[in-house]
Amino acid sequence: MKIALINGSPKGKNSASHTLLEDVKEYLGQRADVATYLCNTPVISQENIEKLVQADAWVFAYPLYVDGIPGHLLSCLSLLEQARIQKPQICVYGIVNCGFYEGEQADLALKILQNWCKKTGFAWGGGIGVGGGGGLDMMPKMESGKGPKAPIEKSMEELANAILKKKTRDNEYVSVAMPRFLYQMGAQMGWRQQIRANGGKVRDLRRKGS
Amino acid sequence: MKLIITDIENFSIPVEGEYKVISPKGDIRCCIGCFGCWVKTPGRCVLLDGYQDTGIEMGKCTELILVSRCYYGSVSPFVKMVQDRAISYIHPDFVMRKGEMHHKRRYQNVITLSSHLYGENITEDEKETARALLQANADNYDGVVKSVSFYPSVEQLEDIVL
Repeated sequence: MKIALINGSPKGKNSASHTLLEDVKEYLGQRADVATYLCNTPVISQENIEKLVQADAWVFAYPLYVDGIPGHLLSCLSLLEQARIQKPQICVYGIVNCGFYEGEQADLALKILQNWCKKTGFAWGGGIGVGGGGGLDMMPKMESGKGPKAPIEKSMEELANAILKKKTRDNEYVSVAMPRFLYQMGAQMGWRQQIRANGGKVRDLRRKGS
Repeated sequence: MKLIITDIENFSIPVEGEYKVISPKGDIRCCIGCFGCWVKTPGRCVLLDGYQDTGIEMGKCTELILVSRCYYGSVSPFVKMVQDRAISYIHPDFVMRKGEMHHKRRYQNVITLSSHLYGENITEDEKETARALLQANADNYDGVVKSVSFYPSVEQLEDIVL
């Protein structure tokens, strides 16, 4: 079975989308022929389209941007629609990570991909909305079932098993294993560290552009 | 002021009152996810291609009007790229709203949002997604939804006044 993992983050390998796809890849292990693709610009090459057509399943991972799919990835999806690929057996899965705590906020970004499947004729396999995605790429890999990423890793494992069986599932939502207030506190400390590192002051965070 | 973001290059729809139009003029760069508009040049996008000030314009508007081809229930890639590049309208810190995490306000204006989506064969699923999407935008901007309208072709927009 050939599986295409498609990273739709503009940040490429330095992204939560990459981290999540690496988890899926690890769980797929040797049971499939896995190839990774990057969709970080509004254009997808003809060469990559031809390679994608050979796959049995496409797994898109992308960040939630303004409640939906990032503009550049939307452009790639449109180009894939225009390519008129006649392979309804290709099963499409979606993983959306969002900076908000609640994975449910990724719901519409999954629905848009689902609507795209209906338009293009591909099979929709289901998606996962991942909450608390802000720090995922910085979280260390821990022993299985341990640490704040544990529930997310478990859902990636379940997704990997569903992909191998070409199973269709309902969309699911998951979040980091930490209280919401702690996640919020961590994120807000991060913004303050970053603005200071850039030579600014904390009060600059609320500056109005002019 | 009404702020109109549209993918129509030669935008000529009549608009009542004061307004500003952001439409395709030269290439737009997509958001690179750097959060520079929050932590480097707060309020303004760091990519200087003519589309870096949308967040500031949003801070001045009373209405945000999206006029776009409908893509799978979303706005078009161009309109979405403009929106993606304008997250500086909001503050990076979080607040709870309707029981969910959202971003704090940077500006005090309350935006009324509407979208006018055109395209052949917009499905019922896409319409449902588009309505929910504008409501989600309103929740994140801490604004309110005015309307979501659909048109079977771009020509049908000639009869409306924004």
